[in-house]
Amino acid sequence: MGFEPQENDIAIIGVAQTDAHARYDGPEVVMIMECVNQLLGDAGIERGDVGFTIAGSCDYLSGMPFAFVSNVDGMGAWPPVYESHVEMDGAFALFEAWLRLQMGDIDVAMVVGSGKSSPCNAREVFHLQADPYVVAPLGIDPDAMAGIQAQALIQAGKATEADIADVVVRSRSNAAANPHAQVSGDVSAEDLMSAPYDMAPLRAHDVSPKADGAAAILIARRDRALELTDSPVWITGLDHRIDSHHAGLRDLTDSPSTRLAAAGAGVGDGAVDVAELHVIHSHEEIILRDALGLDDATTINPSGGPLAGDPVMATGLTRIIEVAKRVAEGEASRGVAHATSGAALQQNLVCVLEGGS
Amino acid sequence: MADLPDIDFTLEFPYTRTTGPVIGPFLTGLRDGRILGTRVGDQVICPPVEYDPDSGATVGPENLVEVGPVGTVDAWTWVAEPTSKHPLDTPFAFAQIKLDGADTTMLHAVDAGSIDAMSTGMRVVVRFNEDRVGSVTDVHFVPGEEAAAPSPVDADEDVEIMEHLIGVRIQEPLQPHRQRFLQGLLQKKIIGQRSPADGKVHVPSRGYDAINRVPMSDADDVEVEGRGTVTSFTEITPIQYHGQTETEPYIRCSILLDGADSTIGGVDVRHIPIDEFRVGMRLEVVWRDDISFDDADNRGYGLNEGVYERWESTGEPDVDPELVKEHNF
Repeated sequence: MGFEPQENDIAIIGVAQTDAHARYDGPEVVMIMECVNQLLGDAGIERGDVGFTIAGSCDYLSGMPFAFVSNVDGMGAWPPVYESHVEMDGAFALFEAWLRLQMGDIDVAMVVGSGKSSPCNAREVFHLQADPYVVAPLGIDPDAMAGIQAQALIQAGKATEADIADVVVRSRSNAAANPHAQVSGDVSAEDLMSAPYDMAPLRAHDVSPKADGAAAILIARRDRALELTDSPVWITGLDHRIDSHHAGLRDLTDSPSTRLAAAGAGVGDGAVDVAELHVIHSHEEIILRDALGLDDATTINPSGGPLAGDPVMATGLTRIIEVAKRVAEGEASRGVAHATSGAALQQNLVCVLEGGS
Repeated sequence: MADLPDIDFTLEFPYTRTTGPVIGPFLTGLRDGRILGTRVGDQVICPPVEYDPDSGATVGPENLVEVGPVGTVDAWTWVAEPTSKHPLDTPFAFAQIKLDGADTTMLHAVDAGSIDAMSTGMRVVVRFNEDRVGSVTDVHFVPGEEAAAPSPVDADEDVEIMEHLIGVRIQEPLQPHRQRFLQGLLQKKIIGQRSPADGKVHVPSRGYDAINRVPMSDADDVEVEGRGTVTSFTEITPIQYHGQTETEPYIRCSILLDGADSTIGGVDVRHIPIDEFRVGMRLEVVWRDDISFDDADNRGYGLNEGVYERWESTGEPDVDPELVKEHNF
């Protein structure tokens, strides 16, 4: 049973992640190194056996121009390798690695996402993702955009403040079983809703707790994957779409780019047992669930998701890891991972993962 | 010894952008006291765009039309605690505002005084700041429909360039290996780390051995000499840029300290003439009597400037440059 891989199919053969540290005292490189050493050790291969490495990170967070170059130290700069970087979450780096392996000349690639956001206020960095002429100078950051989006969602009758609080309740409860989580435990929606507004109608708990952390994935083409692991997790669909950066041209209560990416990745072609969604503001889960066409048969964010810990730039890749772990362990046979970038779910990546021979 | 204080600096980049045929007139309009949108098909889009969002076709400045100054709030959020990047420093709303005459919304700030004054569908009107330079921050909105005449601005050139100084404040403790290295410098000691994997000594250490992918700890610390061999150098003639403090040409070199397997880089030499400087030359550090520095950070790959007076010749014969050629960066 299960997915029957063809020669050009690509599987996740190993995953690693650090804790979501509120503040990690050492270098970002060491967090990466820990993940990479674990990945290579588990797979029983050397760095030299990896044909392509790629990372997703953001230099501004640690205030260190060219931090992404230092980060290569953690992945192993020696021996020389085809190397790439995206100034995006590691999930988008996975997209490039997945494309790269399809060329067929190399068979193993390593993907890292990492970030050390504790040195700065990430809101003061990520407003720079907005249009640089007429939006960024206003400092409208992702949390402010999320507040606007949540208000639009409520105004449109698509969610209530209680629905939004319920997302946080479930995320924190699920996170109790996640050793990497930053916040977890039982809270009631009533208690949450008695907290003051932060970016109304959002409250502080509706925004993911920013963390320092890293995550890494090893992927391989079919034949090599089957040599290296007994439990490959096949990437059976992967797509990435973008909405306009001009917020005034978007219906913020929907996510057309997620809808397109879901169709491209084939989310609807089978049952979805589990989904890990890159929800950094709680109301986004309601928009994403709708855009992905998920119903109550799908367990959403069993790890607790980013609302339980948000190692910025590794958070999207961690969604893929959390689904892959459950598929590899047989808890789920088919799952969906989602990653986002930009304000108010502007860019969205959807990945379908399946077990099988 | 007490820990050195946390790092606290602001990293800034001044961006200068050309504004183009559509954003230029829009920003010029804000400076001159009017808001422009652009007609695309049967819609008016504000802020204006240079392209048809559906087809990508060029939309030129001939399609610009004046909109506002009154508009209607669509979605909004209340910013209880403004960040340093926000246009107002007291609580305010960010809102999507559909200006009269436009079919799409513009993101901007509404100075409403209180969240209770905000609602979807409320009417707001633009307020032009007294001093305007041709920026989206020249204006904000307030509740109501009563327009106020913009103050005159003494400028008539079109806005063809916009400047945007971006910056991020970084605050963090020194990483443990940096704390020990910098504490060492205060005591005129240079602390490196010996890799447990291959025995090579890294100075200054980054806290790990990159070749063997091994993190290092205080158990790996070793002291090396304040004396070594020049492995490479260049002469820098400073060009003036944002934040530049140098004015005169100087030598920047790398030195392989005795007992180390990696060079210290970015060593600036101002006391030895360029025509006497050479690879293989033996130098030693002359510490300052009163060592202190305000540039302690997690990023250094040399010795902080505040710790040494200068580097001077040891008087020893040169080392054969062939022997240090593996270390020339």
